[in-house]
Amino acid sequence: MTGPACLVGVGETPYAKWGGLGGTTEYDLALRAIEAAVADAGLTLDQVDGLASFAADRNDAVFVAADLGLPELRHATMSWLPGGGGACAAVGNAAVAVEARQAEVVVVYRSLCQGQFRRFGRGPGPRRADGRPPGLRRAASPLDAQAAFTMPFGMLSPPITYAMVMQRHMHRFGTTSEHMGNVAVRFRDNAARNPRAVLGGTALTLADHQASRMVAEPLHLFDCCMENDGACAVVVTTSARAADCAKGAVEILASAQGAAGAYGHGQYVNVYVDDDLYTSGGSQVVARDLWARAGIGPGEVDAAMIYDHFTGLVLLQLEDYGFCGRGEGGPFFAETELPMNTHGGSLSEAYIHGLNHVVEGVRQLRGESTTPGPGAETCLVTSAAGVPSSGLVLGRRR
Amino acid sequence: MTATRWFPESMPVPAVTADTLGWWEAAAEHRLVVQACSGCGRTRHPPSPMCPACRGRSSSWKEVPGTGSIYTFTVVHQAFLPDLAERVPYVVAVVDLDEGGGARLVTNIVDAAPAEVVIGGRVGVVWEDMGPELAVPRARLLAGNG
Repeated sequence: MTGPACLVGVGETPYAKWGGLGGTTEYDLALRAIEAAVADAGLTLDQVDGLASFAADRNDAVFVAADLGLPELRHATMSWLPGGGGACAAVGNAAVAVEARQAEVVVVYRSLCQGQFRRFGRGPGPRRADGRPPGLRRAASPLDAQAAFTMPFGMLSPPITYAMVMQRHMHRFGTTSEHMGNVAVRFRDNAARNPRAVLGGTALTLADHQASRMVAEPLHLFDCCMENDGACAVVVTTSARAADCAKGAVEILASAQGAAGAYGHGQYVNVYVDDDLYTSGGSQVVARDLWARAGIGPGEVDAAMIYDHFTGLVLLQLEDYGFCGRGEGGPFFAETELPMNTHGGSLSEAYIHGLNHVVEGVRQLRGESTTPGPGAETCLVTSAAGVPSSGLVLGRRR
Repeated sequence: MTATRWFPESMPVPAVTADTLGWWEAAAEHRLVVQACSGCGRTRHPPSPMCPACRGRSSSWKEVPGTGSIYTFTVVHQAFLPDLAERVPYVVAVVDLDEGGGARLVTNIVDAAPAEVVIGGRVGVVWEDMGPELAVPRARLLAGNG
């Protein structure tokens, strides 16, 4: 049986608030998530011969292979796409590998315990502690040298970066804080049905959103995703082997990754691109390739898992992926009944850099979601917008 | 004369490479520059070794007047560094530089109430000397705004 590579297993550790899983190392959580996903597929670790990750995951594939006792490691890739931009790309890389017979069973994983390491969004590395007056220092990388043009200005954390994008989008298109709040409220409502969701037990209304403290205008606290401890993993294998797996196979109908070249220049701070690109999620290249490869369009998917580090970036992606016109993301979201982030997303389930969105896409198509879309056969999954990104179109095998 | 200070000394220290050092050297002399390609004339910021338009490697530093218009901004309320706790709220802005050929500068709007800051607002650079060899361009609203 020939066909596209398939997702056959998903798994995760418990998810917790930042620092909440201090009793287990981030590395061990990675191993546990991989074990869970492989078991879910009805496979054994002896059958795993490939590993893939993204976001500069600290838990090296070569260590993982050794400590899981894999007989052989035949594929090990790390996506270059920044941070959460690479989740779907890591799955796409795994799919390419199995389709090219470079490996047979590739596990994609992401483990993230920020409580055990330097926190995201706490500013850059060396600050002066030596009593000398401020001066220049030697850059460790091109990104470090570029950050010199943002960090000294207090542009220290992603909410500041994306607050400015949304400010411009509001200025140009009339998007409102309530438009963004609708995203937070709806995803929290989905989380209420999901026992894995860290914020599943905490209801959120639009009034709560509007009353929450400002982080960086126009972003309120509840426009920003959580920081969490946890890990998840998905298993990718060939179409032929998928037929023998324990649960229904989910086909990877299309994968795509990248962005306009200039978008990579300001890796985290694309303030130097033209206005159309600046006021978007930067996912146009991925969207074009994804729909072309899948042979379907945005009107034909039954569910969507949209990377939600910030509420406003969900609206921008809906525009990039063609669900609505430019500038119409806010009004579109308020009206659409498309099942979206049915797990609660990074805003309410957990922030595992969006690999949990792939997990939920699989569950949605298997009929296992706690917020099922009726008869869902196809699902879009996206990775972080605002940086060069990636996406998947998944389909339930008939 | 005591130099005006707007941000704490513990702000992140700029990291430089040979490609970006010239910009910071000009800044230390209170000159705001953008990189201009010697081949096609296109300007760019931040500095980089190659012109993405014509792929030429030769460039010079073009001094700009230090005025411009606010392209976008945010009022930051959360202190992401401990020493900013007493500084918030502060304004981070992206400024379209006059005579910059499209180059934009990330900066701060200082000496203004956040409510006075609007997209399109006119600004002019003021320099903050952070140390003997480090100056950082902040910006003030210019008279005549709105």
